[in-house]
Amino acid sequence: MNNEMTLSFVAIEENEALARMAMTCFITPLDPTIEEISEFKTIVSEAVTNAIIHGYECDGKSMVTLHAVIEGNKVVMTISDEGAGIFDVDQAMEPMFTTRPFMERSGMGFTIMESFADSLTVESVLGNGTVVKFEKTFSPVTEASRMG
Amino acid sequence: MADIEILDNGILVATLRGELDNHKANRIRTQISASIFTGQVRAVIWNLEGLGFMDSAGIGLILGRMRDLAPTGGETLILNPSTTMEKIFNFSGLGPNIRHCTVDMAIGEIGGVLHEQ
Repeated sequence: MNNEMTLSFVAIEENEALARMAMTCFITPLDPTIEEISEFKTIVSEAVTNAIIHGYECDGKSMVTLHAVIEGNKVVMTISDEGAGIFDVDQAMEPMFTTRPFMERSGMGFTIMESFADSLTVESVLGNGTVVKFEKTFSPVTEASRMG
Repeated sequence: MADIEILDNGILVATLRGELDNHKANRIRTQISASIFTGQVRAVIWNLEGLGFMDSAGIGLILGRMRDLAPTGGETLILNPSTTMEKIFNFSGLGPNIRHCTVDMAIGEIGGVLHEQ
């Protein structure tokens, strides 16, 4: 099955849930397992939260854009903002690194995203924004596995 | 979203439901920190059995409350996370705090620990 979608929303924290819900609906026809859905939602949630908090500092007017393509059993997705950008991407991707310890950001977002995605790239230009791109392949629930 | 109960023995039981993301974590943090700083809380049990989703905000929330408890050496237990949540806890070094058991069993375990001190 092939499909494609784009969704944009303003940078407020309430839209973290919107992003997860919309993306879960989009991949449901692939018949993913509960765990695959859960991992996929987590990647989306981490990237969208980063865009809202770090990219735009929850400004309530700048837009976060999600784009996703389904190619067979694979989803290729980008989460983009045109906000602050990341000073040092390699450093940002280190476990436990955070620029916002006082907000209790754990610094685990990129570690989680990398672990749950098949592949993940981050492109960022200071002052121009960040694009997180990832791929995840789903194993459809077969009749045999359903019968368990 | 979060039911918070403080037992007579100073164990705070936080029962989380729905989805725990950055937005929700900010609200729950205020609620629980206020209880911890009253000085009555000696341990926290996070019951995640009914929680449908959690991202790294959950790690920040739990690690933050462990810091609040640190001055009194308070214990933290995380009960019944989903498979995906358990992976996230393991990435963050919280694996040893996870239990798959009932709240009563966890209270028993912490009760024992506190008694020994």
